Amino acid sequence: MSDQATHIIPGQSVVSRLSGMATSGLTTAVVVAVLIFMPLLLGGSWTFTLGLCFANSIGVLAVSLLVRYGGEVSIGHTFFTALGAYSVGVLDTRYGISLWASVPLALLLGVVFGLLFAWPSRNLHGIYLAVTTLALALAVPEMINNFDVLTGGYEGLYVATPFIPGIEMGLQRYYVALFMLVIVCLAVARLRLSRQGMALLLAKAHPAAADAFGTRRVWARVSIMGISGGIGAICGATLAFSGSTVSPGGFTFWQAIFLLVGSVVSFYGLSLTRVLIGGAFVTLVPQLLSASGAWIPVLYGLALLGMILLGHYMPRIRKAMNRKAEAN
Amino acid sequence: MSFWDSLLYDLFPLIWSGMITGCLYALGALGLVMIFKCSKVVNFSHGNVAGLTAFLVYGLSSGMLMSLSWGAAVLVALLAAVAIAFLIYSIISPLVFESDLTSTIATLGFGLIAQGVTLLTFGADIVALDLPIPRFAFSVLGLLITGYDLTVLAVAVVTIGALFIIIDYTKLGIAFRAISENPFAAEVCGLNLRSVHYFAWITAAILGVVGALLIVPTTFLSVTTVATFMLQAFAAAVIGGFASLPGALVGGVLVGVLMNLFTFYVSPEFSSTFLLAVILVALNIFPNGILQKVGGSRV
Repeated sequence: MSDQATHIIPGQSVVSRLSGMATSGLTTAVVVAVLIFMPLLLGGSWTFTLGLCFANSIGVLAVSLLVRYGGEVSIGHTFFTALGAYSVGVLDTRYGISLWASVPLALLLGVVFGLLFAWPSRNLHGIYLAVTTLALALAVPEMINNFDVLTGGYEGLYVATPFIPGIEMGLQRYYVALFMLVIVCLAVARLRLSRQGMALLLAKAHPAAADAFGTRRVWARVSIMGISGGIGAICGATLAFSGSTVSPGGFTFWQAIFLLVGSVVSFYGLSLTRVLIGGAFVTLVPQLLSASGAWIPVLYGLALLGMILLGHYMPRIRKAMNRKAEAN
Repeated sequence: MSFWDSLLYDLFPLIWSGMITGCLYALGALGLVMIFKCSKVVNFSHGNVAGLTAFLVYGLSSGMLMSLSWGAAVLVALLAAVAIAFLIYSIISPLVFESDLTSTIATLGFGLIAQGVTLLTFGADIVALDLPIPRFAFSVLGLLITGYDLTVLAVAVVTIGALFIIIDYTKLGIAFRAISENPFAAEVCGLNLRSVHYFAWITAAILGVVGALLIVPTTFLSVTTVATFMLQAFAAAVIGGFASLPGALVGGVLVGVLMNLFTFYVSPEFSSTFLLAVILVALNIFPNGILQKVGGSRV
């Protein structure tokens, strides 16, 4: 599925691809413009929920990025979101330092730990890496609870320091999340055009060719984990600020799987609109089904399967229909 | 107490009980490896489906759904496990031949569904599900050996022995090995990949049920216990190389013993972190598992 998306589709001219990019840029601009004015129309609770949507979208983007540029699946991204969330939470509650300092710290920690995790697992790929990230996800809640001097254990932390003093907190929680999402999406779009992005895609699609051109496979793996970990940490930082609380319940193993579900539901898309769909799915489904909790895993599972099967059968159905149209 | 005394009184019992749990991890890991070997899919739904069937045994034998005898309940649960495995593989089989990563993610979806169904049918309560085995215990050289230990050991030896005999000597087993080795050549020779895949998935499901029923008496049965148990099985499979059946066995026992020693001597609170460390270290020293032959590739 991901391969099809990253390769150039034959038979499609450069012009049509460029115009496609322009229209998608336009859609994104319209979506962002609408989102900027949303708080004027919506009540406080919906503004809050939308803020969480944006934060989760960043997490979905981190997982999708790893799939698209690294060809790897992670079910352990809660490790990075927890890192980001707790750097914001701890700096805020213990030292009263606002996002100005804690987001860069979160990004730094995310990248560093992404690299640290990637180094021992540099030779792993596919299922080995997936299972290792699974172990990583399992270790997260236990680490949080055992470092309770810093993290507050089960009780968690409450983030209350404003980003820009003087503006209403509810609006800040919304706009900071939107701003982060836009920035991260822009950065990822830039990555696609950059030297590093090209090298990563080459290393994924043709490892031997990448070796010949001097892109080490180990370097590709370690760097994409670093980038994805950094974005994951920004997701956590945004979650902490927009969600106002940081507690171990937000970084369970299931949460890690939900991020992957969001990524699959958005078809591993990297554009703002696509990741918003994934983020909205991850955030809204538990909210809408909060009365009947047992249905959440069922619905998530069905959505995951439905999207995967759709991704599998859609091109075939389309091809069959085209053939029929040609025959007529 | 001297050092040697504490060694005798703590270490050997810890290793023994670790080996017993390790046998169960191995049962779980063998199922994962069987599926992976032939269809190249990591079955993340393994634990949740096994948990669902364990609950089914509870529900059918306790009077919650029906009050059958224990044996009849297990039989029904085994049939259900086979049916579920058949269904899961039937749905994802078109994906299996296209992308192993996509089909692996699809199994996560089935895992979520199985967990949800368990919650919906049996609720989030914690229940006790015991085995109908005689309760006795005796001690050998300071080791306390219980009826449960011997049951686990016996069942594990019989199940694993039967599995290896099937794989080594029957036609089906030879087909399984051929497909694991080279699916294309096997298909050219006229083997039906799908039917062998079905064999692997169904066998794995049965192994999962056996493992789940045996592990539950040591803990309790809740929605997450069996899934958590299977995570250790994942670690065992990874350490064993994920593509090696004897490796899964060794990995299972190793994980069982190491986890037991770690929780006793160091800390029970960091056991998942320790498991992560064990996986990372093992994969760095033995990138293809502890029993894998050294291989290489040329560019």
